[in-house]
Amino acid sequence: MRRARSLLTVVLTIAGATLLFWLVLHQISSVWLDVALRPEVRKALEQSLEDQKALRSHDPARRAEYRKRFDETQKLLNRIQVLRMNRQAMLRRFELALIVVFALSALAAAVLLWMRYRRAQERERREYLERVTSLQETARRHAHEIKGPLTAARLELERYADLVRVDASEEERARAQESVSEELERLARYTREFSSFAGIGKPMLRRESLGQMLEEFCTTFANAWPETRLEDSGGDAVVCVDRDMFRQVLVNLCSNSARAGASSVRFLIIRNGSRVMLEVEDNGSGIAESLRARVFDPYVTTRRIGEGMGLGLSISRKVMLDHGGDLVLGATSPSGTMFRVMFGAEAC
Amino acid sequence: MVRPALAVVFSLLLAAAVRAQQPQLGFAVQPGGVIAATLPLSILQEASVRKQLHSGLTTTFLFVARQRETRILSGARIEIRYDLWDEVWIVQKIEHDRKSERQRLTSLEALEKWWRTPLRIMATKASRVALQIDLSVLPFSAAEEADARQWITKSGGVGTSSGSAGLVDALIGTTISARPLTSYRWNVELALQ
Repeated sequence: MRRARSLLTVVLTIAGATLLFWLVLHQISSVWLDVALRPEVRKALEQSLEDQKALRSHDPARRAEYRKRFDETQKLLNRIQVLRMNRQAMLRRFELALIVVFALSALAAAVLLWMRYRRAQERERREYLERVTSLQETARRHAHEIKGPLTAARLELERYADLVRVDASEEERARAQESVSEELERLARYTREFSSFAGIGKPMLRRESLGQMLEEFCTTFANAWPETRLEDSGGDAVVCVDRDMFRQVLVNLCSNSARAGASSVRFLIIRNGSRVMLEVEDNGSGIAESLRARVFDPYVTTRRIGEGMGLGLSISRKVMLDHGGDLVLGATSPSGTMFRVMFGAEAC
Repeated sequence: MVRPALAVVFSLLLAAAVRAQQPQLGFAVQPGGVIAATLPLSILQEASVRKQLHSGLTTTFLFVARQRETRILSGARIEIRYDLWDEVWIVQKIEHDRKSERQRLTSLEALEKWWRTPLRIMATKASRVALQIDLSVLPFSAAEEADARQWITKSGGVGTSSGSAGLVDALIGTTISARPLTSYRWNVELALQ
């Protein structure tokens, strides 16, 4: 239905344009033809012929000149007469040409629309498949994340029951109990991760020194990723951020860098007029080309099932968007990745 | 039942009347099996033809003779132009063997006399031929047609011919062609020996 409507719109537009073109050109052509073919024009030319003939008798010395003028006028008159005899055919051809132009344009538009429709259909099918595949992957991850602790807890409970039956020592029963608690805690952590994604709160913006925040972050998290060194390139700018949320963004970015095998993560503050950006650059293995377009989508991860849900970048971007800024992938290659954290321009 | 019969009779009468009005060609067989046609004056005197003769354009009489059995084609052409400067008729006959003859005639009477001289339209070795002869009276010559076409495509049209206007002019210019003022068809059978 939508396709038919858009085809109709295109055809009507072409028809309108062609009609307008026809009206303008037809009027011009008709006027031109009518002027050229008007009887008075013909009569004036015929009179001119008679005049040249009369002049040759009055002024025989200039006979050759009059003859030349006569021939030129007669040639013109002949041409006009030929045109007059072909006027209808000429106008018909003109209209036929316009119809052909219209038909070709309409055909081209129809072909283009059809191709666009086919492309859109193909894209929609591809996207649907990607969505379903992604959901399948997510479901698999969820199942694994839940099944692991549940199975472990069930086995520990069975073991606890056995320990009670054989009247095992208090110490052994306590260990089994603790083991069940650990598995349940894993489940709780897992649900907390979702809660944090579902419940990303509104940032409480405050004017903060970005340089100072980075310095503190580098100091606090210096040993968080043993293989990765955090480097603050210096510089400063005042930005409006929610300190805790921004720190979470940095943690997520650095975790990813560490996971990509980066030996260093460098922070660089860039000022562009009133806008402030922070480039976070690592020398890790980069992001696979197939993932680049979807890197901020939830559940997109290279980690194995059971090692994480792929929510970090998604949460981080949402946080920065809530700040009035953004988080974008600046560059990535097998020798490193650079994310650009952009802060909002509004004052707070 | 009566009505269709009446219609048929009426059609036959009409056809006969049209045939009676058709100018009749005269034929003469010349040595070498050459068939020459003598043209009736009524063709020249026909109103549209007479008017065109005085236009200053070259009125062209195109004869196409076709042997009905062998479908061999032959033809001849007569061109008549009234020269408005000298007030003479410039006439030319191009016969079946491409032999042409050009003359300047000073009066209409001379033109009519010249018109009645036989026009050689075909040569054949057959002793008997069935011919279909078509005559088209064209209002201007091929040269005048080409000139007008060139004029409209190169310098005519809407101002200067460039871009789409030039294309339109060219498109329209190619429609210029001589459509017959009138045409005739004769079917004759001739014994040559």
